[in-house]
Amino acid sequence: MSSDGFPPFISAQLRYLLDHFPHKIRVEQVRSGGSGGLDRFTLLIPYCLDYIKWDVIYNAEYPFAPPDIVFGPEDDDFHPLLMTGSEGEGNLNSGSRNILSDWNNKDPTKLQALIQELRDQYMFYQRRRAGEVDDDRLKFEISTILPREGIEMHISSVAEKAEEVKFAVPLMDMNINKMVHACPWRHPQKIYLQVIYPVGRKYASTASAPRLKLMSTPELRALFSVDDVKLPSWLDGMCMAEYLPNLEESLEKQVREAVSLIDIRRRFIEALVPFFGRPLEADPVFCGKATFLASSGSFVFLVHFLISTQFPKQQPALMLQSLLHISPQGVPKKSPLLKDYPWSPRWEASQMAERILDFAADECLNFKRFCSDSQPQPQPQSQH
Amino acid sequence: MDDLVLQKIAISGPTLASMIQRLSSSPADVDGLLFGHVTYIAPSTLPDDSAQSTPDSQLVATISGFLSFPSLLSFYDSLGRVDPSRLTPHLDRKTLLGWFSSRRNTALRPSMRESSVTHSLFSIPNLSLPIQNANSNSSFNPSIFLLFTTPAHDKFIQTNQYRAFQFQSPKLSFSPVSIDIVNIGPAFRGHYGSFSPTSPLPFLDCELRNLTAMHEDRNEENLIGMKQASKYQSELDLNAEGLTIERLRRLIGPEAVNYTAGLEDLYEKMLSKIESLARHVEASSAKVLEQTHSGAY
Repeated sequence: MSSDGFPPFISAQLRYLLDHFPHKIRVEQVRSGGSGGLDRFTLLIPYCLDYIKWDVIYNAEYPFAPPDIVFGPEDDDFHPLLMTGSEGEGNLNSGSRNILSDWNNKDPTKLQALIQELRDQYMFYQRRRAGEVDDDRLKFEISTILPREGIEMHISSVAEKAEEVKFAVPLMDMNINKMVHACPWRHPQKIYLQVIYPVGRKYASTASAPRLKLMSTPELRALFSVDDVKLPSWLDGMCMAEYLPNLEESLEKQVREAVSLIDIRRRFIEALVPFFGRPLEADPVFCGKATFLASSGSFVFLVHFLISTQFPKQQPALMLQSLLHISPQGVPKKSPLLKDYPWSPRWEASQMAERILDFAADECLNFKRFCSDSQPQPQPQSQH
Repeated sequence: MDDLVLQKIAISGPTLASMIQRLSSSPADVDGLLFGHVTYIAPSTLPDDSAQSTPDSQLVATISGFLSFPSLLSFYDSLGRVDPSRLTPHLDRKTLLGWFSSRRNTALRPSMRESSVTHSLFSIPNLSLPIQNANSNSSFNPSIFLLFTTPAHDKFIQTNQYRAFQFQSPKLSFSPVSIDIVNIGPAFRGHYGSFSPTSPLPFLDCELRNLTAMHEDRNEENLIGMKQASKYQSELDLNAEGLTIERLRRLIGPEAVNYTAGLEDLYEKMLSKIESLARHVEASSAKVLEQTHSGAY
């Protein structure tokens, strides 16, 4: 039995899957099917900007049998092992069939290969279902958009809600990971446009605009927040092929700018050094955080700088943390986030640092009073 | 080929209970085969509203037995393809309705491999079974899949869930079928019409008419009776060595009543013998006690 509670053959395959899958997979509901230890779990696999939940069922009692999979409740007609798929699907089916028929429980790569193969098949399955929807605009969109690489579609048909077809369109053919110096990301970072078409309203006079939303892989937030992007408006009668180029062009510009802002933030942190001393801790890649040690008389405290991706337009948020006062819960006392102090994005970095030092010198007195007042036992204090 | 849609699946309470007992006592996941028969049942209630369309066929599949395998991938491979050569030794004149699977801590939906096994079982030629009571010569392919699971979250209460599906080949989909659990009792008497006894022993009339009437008939039916008896004898010879049909008849006919009464009488006499012996022992030990007491003082 390995440390995670799985028999070693499952543990090795699962670890390989988590380390080598191109998308970030989560494992949930680890459970056991008998007396032989943990042997079944739920995988949350990113698909079309959402997760699909697949139950992977190994059998600890029969290690030589390949795992079985239960797909989501909405996909009850997804049968990847049946040789019935149309066109490309038939060939794809043979992929997962080959993996299962020469299964080897000692080969750690097998589960990863199987899930990868099945996810590809699932993509084709959803694409076929979306193509079968009886909606002229949708058929047109699918036919014009298909040449783009990596598009994923999903059709949701929850009983009460109206049917919708969801597209996840990867935007911009640029490798953001490469643009960041000393990039810490394991998975390639991408920005997607989510486009949701309602279907089934046959009698609507004009086709309504689809619902649009920009989304990104979660780690990208440290560099660039898609929530700050204003989407161009969707004109009547537009289609995705017309809409996307403009959006991509403006996004590309914004991402390049976001990358250049890292250096601005780095220079700002460096400008703080003459006033606050060397930082105790700083985020070296995105330069979004820095912590300095400061004191006022005998009152010793930390100053945390939280620098948003909108810097210098948006001023850094400060937080003071006492090194001498601890709350009854055992947590060091902290000030609320301080975001309201004199600021101009046009100042030189050194001037910004100097102004912040002035502000912090004033504010630390308030903070010290706050700490001492709420302290149950008065600390020995030096008299002014 | 048209798929015949089942209205429901009937299973007797004891059969279901013994399946669940088998599955929950197993250390790991279990699967196996389901046996039984399919009957066409005429609708018993006629609708008042003639416009309302009534289902013209009411097919009921009755599960009368099951066979579970000691390991996974027993009659199919890792792709869920059924191997007929591994399946037929288990059939032995029994008619196959479908199969079942039991897996703990999983969702109550057919899995990837289960879908494949069901499809494969459905598509094997020569496995279809005739429908009883049907007016045309129709047959039913083994398309039933019975799934047993336990809920994934519940750790403290033993819960068994089960759901029956019928595989429909044109859409390659599973449609849930309701399960009717037939129990003993007046409310269920009608259901037993669809159960038929399957005994290897010959069927013997248990005539409860009085003996004088039988003697009169015997003379007329003598020849037919002898012919019948020799047929029964040969059936019995298939299952037992050297037991005459007369002795078997004595076990179930009116003579059996005398036999039972005689045995009961014997047991009763044996019990009263034991009782009188016990009384003797009691009396003598009382005397012994008296003597020792008088001897002591």
